[in-house]
Amino acid sequence: MAPAFCSEPAQPALQADGQSYDIADLSLEQLNNVVITSVSRQEERLANAAASIFIIGAADIRRSGARSLPEALRLAPNLQVARQNARDYSVTSRGFNGQFANKLLVLIDGRSIYSPLFSGVLWDAQDVVMDDIDRIEVISGPGATIWGANAVNGVINIITRSAKDTQGGLATFSAGNRDRDATVRYGGTLQSGGHYRVYGRVVDVDDAERAGGMADGTGLRRRQAGFRADWDRPLGGLTVSGDIYGVDLAQPGRPDAALSGANLIARVTRKLTDDSDLRVQLVLDHVERNQPLAFIERLDVVDLDAQHSLRVGGRHNITWGGGYRYAQDRLTPSLVYGFIPADRSLHWGSLFAQDEWSLRDDLRLTVGAKVEHNNYTGAEYLPNVRLAWQPEPTQLLWTSLSRTVRAPSRYDRDYRSPATPVIVGNVPRYGIGGGPDFQSETARVAELGYRMQPAPAWSYSATLFYADYDRLRTQEPNVNGPAYSGLRQVANGAAGTNRGIEMWARWQAMPSWRLNGGLTLQRVRTHLKEGSGDSGGVLGVATSDPNHQWQLRSSHDLPRDMQLDWTLRYTGALVRPAVPSYYELDAQWLWKARRNIDVALIGQNLLHPYHAEFGAAPGRSVVQRSVVLKLTVRF
Amino acid sequence: MTRYAKESVPKRQPPLRAACLSLVLLLLGAAGAGAGAVAAPQMQAGSALAGPNLERSVKAAYLFKFLGYVEFSGDPGAALNVGVMAADDVAAEVTRLTAGRTVNGRPVTVRTLRDGDPTTGLQMLFVGAGAERPVQTLRNAAQNGVLTVTDDENGLQQGAIINFRLVEDRIRFEVSLPAAERSNLKLSSRLLSVAYHVQKGN
Repeated sequence: MAPAFCSEPAQPALQADGQSYDIADLSLEQLNNVVITSVSRQEERLANAAASIFIIGAADIRRSGARSLPEALRLAPNLQVARQNARDYSVTSRGFNGQFANKLLVLIDGRSIYSPLFSGVLWDAQDVVMDDIDRIEVISGPGATIWGANAVNGVINIITRSAKDTQGGLATFSAGNRDRDATVRYGGTLQSGGHYRVYGRVVDVDDAERAGGMADGTGLRRRQAGFRADWDRPLGGLTVSGDIYGVDLAQPGRPDAALSGANLIARVTRKLTDDSDLRVQLVLDHVERNQPLAFIERLDVVDLDAQHSLRVGGRHNITWGGGYRYAQDRLTPSLVYGFIPADRSLHWGSLFAQDEWSLRDDLRLTVGAKVEHNNYTGAEYLPNVRLAWQPEPTQLLWTSLSRTVRAPSRYDRDYRSPATPVIVGNVPRYGIGGGPDFQSETARVAELGYRMQPAPAWSYSATLFYADYDRLRTQEPNVNGPAYSGLRQVANGAAGTNRGIEMWARWQAMPSWRLNGGLTLQRVRTHLKEGSGDSGGVLGVATSDPNHQWQLRSSHDLPRDMQLDWTLRYTGALVRPAVPSYYELDAQWLWKARRNIDVALIGQNLLHPYHAEFGAAPGRSVVQRSVVLKLTVRF
Repeated sequence: MTRYAKESVPKRQPPLRAACLSLVLLLLGAAGAGAGAVAAPQMQAGSALAGPNLERSVKAAYLFKFLGYVEFSGDPGAALNVGVMAADDVAAEVTRLTAGRTVNGRPVTVRTLRDGDPTTGLQMLFVGAGAERPVQTLRNAAQNGVLTVTDDENGLQQGAIINFRLVEDRIRFEVSLPAAERSNLKLSSRLLSVAYHVQKGN
């Protein structure tokens, strides 16, 4: 290591000026080690976004004790997270939660993880190294103009850190009464000047129990490995990342089912000029699921996406782009249901443009639209208009109008149950079948939001929303007679509204103590349209949404390098299947025992031995109290 | 390029940490007791060190420190001129920190810049995350031999010499040697050894 200078320049001469301790007296090394507890970066990022965005920061995740993605998502007050059993979760925003919730789009580093089978997320297949997450952006409300159909009620963007920021080694070990996991990650530099990290991870989750105490057969064992490499280039960068995983899914009274997959992302960004940025991304994704009681599926996805932003005349920020997504699946009927045709190629093509126009220095108008083409319904139009007034940097008032759709999934059109139907006169008679005429569900949404930071120590946000849904999914008796062989078929027989308010606030009560609070109040109302004969509204008509939920989170920095965090949360009752309201408390005590060693004691769902979050009694699984010891070593 | 320090990996300084943290805790404790003002001897900075403002204080302190680790040409007695763009809070903090202090015997002046303002006569320019045309500003500053510092994930890609990064809840900085060369600035090896990353030429 050859020094660039023969002699070091003298230490900056400081004139202490009577201030015995000042931050300017710290050395570079000491400044390197000052722990920043502020969230100003995150707040800057969303300061002028005209949408209901909540950001879960890396520190929030670490301090919460969350060890899986859905558990981390509980930190967002604008999401409703319900744990169905040991490995399955229902996650939505602004209502319409269900076993297969389908109105939320989730991306991990730009890779959409929604399943074309039902346009939702199968959470048991998704895992990331929690310590490598930079932030999770949770946008409630429609994001279709940028993100496309399926971003009906919200978008979750899980963003991992650049390989540049995860250099060195990290090992974590957690052991608790319900689950155990271990992760090893190492980051280094490449000859070419880039940075990389590689990781391996194993997770073991016990079966949950039913209310009676019997194991429900929903545990899992996961093995996952992956990498990410980032190259900085003048005025741009290249990112390549990938994951490969295998999961054994416990099955009640049967051998484990197998789930495996791999994905690869390549992304190039380039600053063409000061006023012009280009981003091109390619995603390859492969999943194999052999779950005889649910899906038997092989799925390959190719997704190419390009986006160009440019500034015109100082007043217009224009973003436009296009994408093409191709999915090919091969489905085998499971014991319960099947799909016809069993193999299908699906494609989605889209083009969008959006202009953010500064009408005045404090007034911005955003107008945009996307056209997305899909196999089932052809072209869908997804427009939105937003107006933001920012009288001062710490205050933003915004409003928006959007139209969005949920395009049909395989389930809506191609589903058949039971898998082996009764044959009458050579015609199979299914109990339930996808609807050949099923159209996209639509939503028209109006929002009004206000964000304010009255003082550096506290800030709050409130969003009022009203959404009008039409053509919601129902199951209708078959009226077409023998022409169609299902007794009931999927159709668009319902409509509804959701209105409510989302609020959250942050208060730095003391330098070492921060409080976060969040509240969602909503009224989801759905009704069957005239002529509908839906039998019980078990599908598209929302009945599993709490009218209110709130959380209070406290983050305390204690002496001797310790931190104490707790979250008290409340979720209101669900109507059908009926689930009582509940309070729960999660807590983590963390001790930074050494510079490179953290020890954490995590308690989840501490208030009750168990509680239910989703599903019909008495057969449903319950969520049990858990205690975990976690060790983190950096090397 | 070999004469420069090798590409850095994250530096960890265990012995320093305890000392530093206890100092910071002392500072924070003092800030917390700010209302009492008894336990905080002449701690004008008390309120500035409270949680939400610590980040900008650290950045401002870094900026002040950077001046001491770069060889600036020109009149050795003249003031070091620091420009700050799109970060008024950092500008105020640097002004406060540098009041009455000198770097190698040179006083420091701070002024806030707006988009399009000339960068001539500056020794250092800090461009905040919200700057409108960072690439053009940084290119212009490089031509004038200014030490440029940014606060953006892609700061070095945009042409800055030093860029702040948030790593494990700490403000760290990375350095681009090609950018420093383009501005004809020599950075001390000590600065490079503390940097989180040092980007070398291709």
